[in-house]
Amino acid sequence: MPRDVPRETQRLTAAALAAICLAFGGLAARAADTDPAERGAYLATAAGCADCHTDAKNGGRPYAGGRALTTPFGTFYAPNITPDLDTGIGRWSNAQLLNALREGVSPDGSNYFPVFPYPSFTKITDDDARAIKAYLLAQPAVRQSNRAHDVAFPFSWRFLLNGWKLLFFSPGPFRPAPEGGEAYNRGAYLVTALAHCGECHTPRNWFGAMEPSRFLAGTTHGPDGKAVPNITPDLETGIGKWSEDDIVALLKDGQTPEFDFVGGAMAEVVRNTTRLTDADRRAIAVYLRTLPAVRSETRAAK
Amino acid sequence: MKSSTKRSMLTAALICALTAISVAVPAQDKEAVIKNREALMKGQGKDLGSVKAYTEGKGDLAQAEASAVNLTQTIRKIPDAFPPGTGGTDLDGKFATKPVIWSDWNKFLDAQTTAAAKADALLVAVKSGDKAAIQTAFGDLGKNGCGACHETFREKLKD
Repeated sequence: MPRDVPRETQRLTAAALAAICLAFGGLAARAADTDPAERGAYLATAAGCADCHTDAKNGGRPYAGGRALTTPFGTFYAPNITPDLDTGIGRWSNAQLLNALREGVSPDGSNYFPVFPYPSFTKITDDDARAIKAYLLAQPAVRQSNRAHDVAFPFSWRFLLNGWKLLFFSPGPFRPAPEGGEAYNRGAYLVTALAHCGECHTPRNWFGAMEPSRFLAGTTHGPDGKAVPNITPDLETGIGKWSEDDIVALLKDGQTPEFDFVGGAMAEVVRNTTRLTDADRRAIAVYLRTLPAVRSETRAAK
Repeated sequence: MKSSTKRSMLTAALICALTAISVAVPAQDKEAVIKNREALMKGQGKDLGSVKAYTEGKGDLAQAEASAVNLTQTIRKIPDAFPPGTGGTDLDGKFATKPVIWSDWNKFLDAQTTAAAKADALLVAVKSGDKAAIQTAFGDLGKNGCGACHETFREKLKD
């Protein structure tokens, strides 16, 4: 029927237009949805979220928590940070996540124990924190209740953490040093905030707080009671003899200048740093080599 | 069979068994075993160094290939370098073995087999002369071969 042809064409045009709109709309929506999550995936790798929040040894699901972290104050069990609505962080708002990372405060208002490295994470930028959340919420939800920490009195009294925070916690975002240059500032942000290197490599005082004057100077009482090396540029006790390339090689392949390959907890870290960009590994090296050298032997006590 | 014959046969068997046990771990040789395995590991470090030197334009390909061949062979000597009863700290007191090496020997062998396969892959890459491929294989052997073993089976005592 000749009269139907234009109508048919019209219909086709409308359908084509609709399809194009849908396609573009879909693309736009996808870009808005996945971009932060993709960025968040990279940031979560740099921050090593999965390492503590996955009980890999016992076959736990990614980010579902349950890994035991042994400290001098007791054993902590990392919580579930999958998007499960009841046992994970599925109901958290952006503000609640920022509050957790920045202030060390949980959505119910209680303080986190500083085994959660918020003294470092407080420096993470808003944008990065939101991207990490977008990534976490894009992961499979796992229904797994959090296990209560096994911490002895008086450390088990969470309200005492208010005093601890007053004494030892200085919240606030990372501030780049204008004279430092791009690589230095990126390295500083990675080392002090996202990758939270100091949490293992900096000695702690009697109250379990990092000693700022001995930043990255190593400790004999690191995680699981193991010795952690001094990574300040001290020639004798630190890594002062390492070149920038040496540091980059360690972060990329876990290889030391003597062609040993690191084991222990650092092997876990290298599985993350090997996935960073070359520029980020180099930035970490640049920053580490500008630190004040601290003389400090880190032989294990035994 | 006379009971005295039986008894002497049992005694002989017992002596054999005891000898076998003491042969497995000759106490005086423990230090030699440890020295030998340190040398084995350090030699592997050197070989890895020469492969890496080639990728950085500091060494020649023939040397890198000889080293890669070495690696495929020396990594296969690892199980023999860890006879039971030779656990403990190394000569510098820098590292120690973890008991899991012997309590879960099959896991140890699995890790060693993985490392050996990665050394084979490195040799293939070195033979191709393609620096990017060598770097990838080098990283894989380092992290998932050497590093994976060190993570599970080695304890660091000091720097």
